[in-house]
Amino acid sequence: MTVQTEAPPGKPDVRLMTWFFPIWYGAFGVIICILTRVTPPPRPDVTAADKVAFFTEHGLTIKIGFCLLLILLGGAALTNGLVAYQIKRMSVGSVFAYGYVGGMGVGALPGFLLVSVCFLTAAFRPDRDPELISLLYDLGMLSYNGSLGCFTAAYLVFAIAILYDKNQIFPVWFAYVTIWQIITEVIATQMFVFESGPFAWNGSIAFWWAVVVFSVWLSALIVLLRQALKREETASDAN
Amino acid sequence: MTQTDSQPQASSEQVPGDGHMWVMVLGDLVIFGGYFIVFMIYRTMYPDEFLRAQQHLDITIGVVNTVILLTSSWLVARAVLAGRAGRHEEAVRLTYAGGVGGLMFMACKGYEWLVKIRNGHTNSEMFYSFYYVLTGVHLIHVLIGLIALGVIVRELRNPSRRRASVVEASAVYWHMVDLLWVIIFGLLYVVR
Repeated sequence: MTVQTEAPPGKPDVRLMTWFFPIWYGAFGVIICILTRVTPPPRPDVTAADKVAFFTEHGLTIKIGFCLLLILLGGAALTNGLVAYQIKRMSVGSVFAYGYVGGMGVGALPGFLLVSVCFLTAAFRPDRDPELISLLYDLGMLSYNGSLGCFTAAYLVFAIAILYDKNQIFPVWFAYVTIWQIITEVIATQMFVFESGPFAWNGSIAFWWAVVVFSVWLSALIVLLRQALKREETASDAN
Repeated sequence: MTQTDSQPQASSEQVPGDGHMWVMVLGDLVIFGGYFIVFMIYRTMYPDEFLRAQQHLDITIGVVNTVILLTSSWLVARAVLAGRAGRHEEAVRLTYAGGVGGLMFMACKGYEWLVKIRNGHTNSEMFYSFYYVLTGVHLIHVLIGLIALGVIVRELRNPSRRRASVVEASAVYWHMVDLLWVIIFGLLYVVR
């Protein structure tokens, strides 16, 4: 492998977004894992008093984290836009790119916004009836994890676009990894039924196994977006 | 300028199908393996509950479905052989026959679900939640497999296509659907 110290690869704006992509997901990871404590998820099978205690204990970080997310959430539109840009370079119609952006946007509403609002309401209004705090806890977590299926339309559109693409913007195996995403996230619907066990919102199958697949998918996407960026430059050099 | 990435296509001569499909198949087996392990853990934790719930499963319909899928897999394997030998008409017919097997499997499974739900075995029982998730996810795979069989027909019908690697890759997927079912059948219906 030769080290190239010349101009960095790709178009400048696409290059910027390709860097922004992992940085945004990194910030997002810090917010949900460290600050707001929604991943790893708090237990679903606890009493209202325990749920109130959760908001008291983590109140400050939840306030900081979700207020930050409310500001940064627009960044998701940029990361989705980057994927849409690469889809538009495919030989398939741009309707797939719009479908991906729209599908991800639909998922972000219950997936991120609703949990932010629920948890912020509970954290900033701690004097409410514990049953109401408990409702916000359940509503926030069920919305955050139980709605994973809302992203599946975006994944389906993405997978089909990769399979039909003749320009080989993304490798075919990534379409299959995207299909795993659909399958593992559809199982999240079970979270509404169970308060404990493998299908609850902190369950080994419904949540953790889906997280593993999502991590594989996201890591692969980060690498493949960089490769797509480099190849676009090669393609434009050749002209 | 002509420098290109060393793509996995280079290795497509050694294994049937292509590298991409093997990523799918092996990864899918790992994902299902995770489900199976979790199932076994919960089965060990609640042996009585699982055994009691399992007795309501109709093993006959499970056997019938196993035979249907194994036959279908055999037909698709024959289709690949026929396609390799240049007997494309026969290969298309065999693939259609394999697809009918897939449809029969889905019909049987749908009937089984209907009977189970009518008898009140819903996913509120732990064993049946595993049953519906495992067989449901498998049904999605059967559906994807039918699309893969459609790809085989599309390849074989068009004289300018007929890429052996595409036909083999789709067949490999269909065999995986079969393999997964055999394991699910063993775990849910048979293991006591």
